[in-house]
Amino acid sequence: MDLTALFERYPYLREALTAFAVIFVDFCALIILIAAGRERRRGDRLWAREGRGYMLAMGTTFFPLGAAEILIGRHPAADIRFDDTEISRFHALLTLSNGQWTIEDIGAQNGILVNGRRITQPRILRQNDQIQIGKRRLTVVRGSGKDVTA
Amino acid sequence: MSRTNTNPVSHPFLLLLVLFAHTAMLLLVMLSFGLTVEVLKLACIVLISDFIGAIVLQFVAQEACTVDTVLLLVLGMSTIYQSCFGGLEFALKHYIFGLIAFLMCQLSYVLVRNPYRAEKLKPLWYGCFFALIATIFFLTGSRGIWIDLGFITIQPSEFVKPVFVLICASSIRTQLRKSELHGWHFVPDNLMLLFCTAVIAGLQWYCRDLGSLPTFAAAAGCALLLRFRYLREKISVRLMIVLIVGVIFVAVMAWHLAPAYVQDRLHTDIWSDMSGSGYQQVKALTAIAEGGWFGKGAGNGTLVNVAASRTDIVFSTICEEWGLFTAIMTVVLVLFLPAAILTVPPRSYYHSGLALGVAAMFMVQMTLNIFGSCNLIPFTGVTIPFISQGGSSMLSSGIMAGFLKAAQAPVLTGRSAAQLRKGGRA
Amino acid sequence: MPKVPSPYSGQPAQQPRIIQVPPLDVSPPRSMRRAGRGTALLIAAFLLALVYLVYVLVTRSAFYMAKSGQTGYGRVTDRNGDVLFDGTKPMSDYEAGHFADVGNLIGDTSGQMSNTVVSKNIELLANYSFLYGKNSGTVTLQTTISHKATRACYNALGSKNGTVAAYNWKTGEMLVCMSKPCVDPALGYDNIENMPSGSLLCKAFAPTVPGSTQKVSTLIAAYEHSGVDAVNALEFTCEGSWVNASGGKINCHNPYGHGTQKLNEAFANSCNPYFAQLVQSRMLPLSAVIETYTNMGYSVNGQKAEPLLMNGLTIPAASATLTDDTQFETQWGCLGQGKTLVSPFQLMLWQGAIADGSGSAVQPYILASHTDIENRVTQLGTTARTKPFFTQAAAQGVKAVETDNAAKHYYVSLGEYTCGVKSGTAQIRQEGKEYENSLLTGFCLDDDCPVAFCVMIEERTGNDISNAQLAKVLLDALRSEGIAKKAVPASTAAGS
Repeated sequence: MDLTALFERYPYLREALTAFAVIFVDFCALIILIAAGRERRRGDRLWAREGRGYMLAMGTTFFPLGAAEILIGRHPAADIRFDDTEISRFHALLTLSNGQWTIEDIGAQNGILVNGRRITQPRILRQNDQIQIGKRRLTVVRGSGKDVTA
Repeated sequence: MSRTNTNPVSHPFLLLLVLFAHTAMLLLVMLSFGLTVEVLKLACIVLISDFIGAIVLQFVAQEACTVDTVLLLVLGMSTIYQSCFGGLEFALKHYIFGLIAFLMCQLSYVLVRNPYRAEKLKPLWYGCFFALIATIFFLTGSRGIWIDLGFITIQPSEFVKPVFVLICASSIRTQLRKSELHGWHFVPDNLMLLFCTAVIAGLQWYCRDLGSLPTFAAAAGCALLLRFRYLREKISVRLMIVLIVGVIFVAVMAWHLAPAYVQDRLHTDIWSDMSGSGYQQVKALTAIAEGGWFGKGAGNGTLVNVAASRTDIVFSTICEEWGLFTAIMTVVLVLFLPAAILTVPPRSYYHSGLALGVAAMFMVQMTLNIFGSCNLIPFTGVTIPFISQGGSSMLSSGIMAGFLKAAQAPVLTGRSAAQLRKGGRA
Repeated sequence: MPKVPSPYSGQPAQQPRIIQVPPLDVSPPRSMRRAGRGTALLIAAFLLALVYLVYVLVTRSAFYMAKSGQTGYGRVTDRNGDVLFDGTKPMSDYEAGHFADVGNLIGDTSGQMSNTVVSKNIELLANYSFLYGKNSGTVTLQTTISHKATRACYNALGSKNGTVAAYNWKTGEMLVCMSKPCVDPALGYDNIENMPSGSLLCKAFAPTVPGSTQKVSTLIAAYEHSGVDAVNALEFTCEGSWVNASGGKINCHNPYGHGTQKLNEAFANSCNPYFAQLVQSRMLPLSAVIETYTNMGYSVNGQKAEPLLMNGLTIPAASATLTDDTQFETQWGCLGQGKTLVSPFQLMLWQGAIADGSGSAVQPYILASHTDIENRVTQLGTTARTKPFFTQAAAQGVKAVETDNAAKHYYVSLGEYTCGVKSGTAQIRQEGKEYENSLLTGFCLDDDCPVAFCVMIEERTGNDISNAQLAKVLLDALRSEGIAKKAVPASTAAGS
């Protein structure tokens, strides 16, 4: 296989091959990145398991709990925001740890009621727990998904 | 297994792609060198590593494979590049450091995959940070940045980078913990971050090496911006203007007040001093011009004889042998690592801080390296993550890649996700 | 999260069963996307910068190659394809003295000269392209220079030194830029110590004492301040010399004096006392002179002035020192002696603006076209205009005076052309030597020869060629070259 002679005969062969190889390499990389996009679905499933599939319901409105820390309050940066004067700017923090959601008072003036009792320290949430923040009543529900085991 | 392994693109398929990509590159190497023993050796090592990587990844039951796969791809490419510069010689040291970096990535992932635990360990990170700073201060002498251990030289300033990223990240809980002093409310964590940044700036000033200061400044800046964002819905236009004006003011002041050795760097006209201070850049630019779009062919470069051809001006070395097109594509490939969080968002504040910090570090490092060697900004001796030769840089980049992986696949329980996947109940 | 509308109330605390079970949603909240947005911003900025980097590298790569001496160089030709520099073979292969008249303008790659066509445009001369690599062909850089006319002027000077600058004031093509003595690049630089001083410098670009050609500038200042008709009607008396308000004595080159003259006579006579009185008179206050000079591009009293540029070639700005219009030094400066310095190129450019009649000139250029290694031709010359140097009225006024001068006093030598000229004699005191340079600036209005020019003969004595004869040689050569039409690239010319 005498490549040198071949290259001399076709001067742009090497360039073409290089271009092809490089484009191929990046094509592979692109597919990997697209795969990462699809990986997101799988991440969601894992998260559903981690977070037990819990969501917060208020009437017919549902709030997903898609992160390990969910901030509830009047502040514009809050993940679940209620623009009520009874609700403090930073009111409650929901935390997921060891497969359990915990609610915690982070300086709420009017406090948080869980199942009618005011909480003074972090409290683990269970299905159907009623959370009252100001006038808002939130219920811990479990979303229905085929992938949710347990 | 079929019930739980629901990822539409399976790991083996992705790793097959990596294998294909490496094979394409190795064929190019073969075009240059013919079918010699050295080429076969390189091909075997790279491809077998890919295989082993694939098997290992399959065993540790990945939750997120993007970072690992891209890392495998980049490390293999980097080994091929480094082995071909100026003639074929397997870059054993580079390869070994690549392997260690890959392991480091997995280790640091395990360490920080639980954001609560990672943040709880913050005092430890502070300890590491100050220990490293002290090491640089006392062990490497005031003007050096290397520790020579005989068989290997360690550059402690490289290891400051991942530790600094760990310090930069912060959760909302930490941000809500405010202290008060004489009626002034402040977040201790933010104060600590500013203090650490100041320490680094001071140290770099003292060591007369301001080259990697922008890297740390960018990470700290991103972290502060993110912390602001925790507490503000929208950064107002006025605040934005004030910030921009402030940054410009600081930059202009720094430009004017910079010490003489920095001024030299800022005002060097490389074309008037082609054999002196401009030597490396002139050679680098000429090499890029000689390479053209598709390069001279692997191993045909001459830039390898110039100092730092495998580290600081590695972009030009790749350009010369493989062409500008390939070099740009390689850089874009490294970008895929931080870009992974665009597809799978993090699930906790601490992890999103980590991801942005790593993105800032990687991006600024590459900017300084590439644009510096091309004479668009002052030339500083920083490395391109995973591409440049150099153990310390490779390891610290590996650790940071682990952070990215953690942001992709957090674990909030005491048990691993693999156990969860096997149907364990909380 | 959407803002939730008004709260509902009155619902009992324990009613879990009514809540309908929703489909599971675990999408991450907005706050988790902030890091992603930041990263996206960083990546976008980086990619933009990369695009810019590629652009810079691709466009500048020829410069990098040329600067580091990695490529061969192509040829520089004149407007008709005659080679003025050849990087492909030893220049000694050409007939002896082929480059002896253009060496200090075109230059070479030896690095001995910096302000030359070759060294300022080295990237255009490199046999290189980013796509095709190096030395796969030969580039040709065509200039607008007429080698034949340059050679004619060079030979006409005989034993004298001097410089000739000429350009087409309609198109901007630089036609002649000759400076003698001149280095011959074909002979190399081994005897660089023995070369006559100034050999390595194109003196057309070097500021020199303008002599009475400066009176053009002073006249323009007077026209701009007091109006053309008022100045034309002015009469002053010359008695061979004149003593100014501060007691300084201005001598005339005619010791018997010119008597009482009007402006056009004084201009033709180049009468120093007349112009000195004009400068001192109320018709021309010093501030007006300074304003006009500054607009014309002079650096007045050490103020910064932009140099002129032509395809990378740098021509230093003219300079003058004007402090008090009753003082000898200032008046002397307005007459083109003393500390006033103007380059022949600049004088030529002003003549172009006068010939044009608008007060602004067509910008001169010297590079006509570039033929790259793949034989693709790029036209480099574009006709652009300079900023206005002076008002249209002043330009028309000077044009009339100069044309009148040429018609009355230069009909013997330049009679066959419709010209306007101003002569000048510069007194130089240098290195203990005193001598006079003879200058002539002017323009030709003929359609087949639209040329603005400046010629200078150094140390001219009575028997040498006169400046008007040299100008005629120049115009004759240019007219026969057919310079009214723009230069065309060699390959295009061959095809047609």
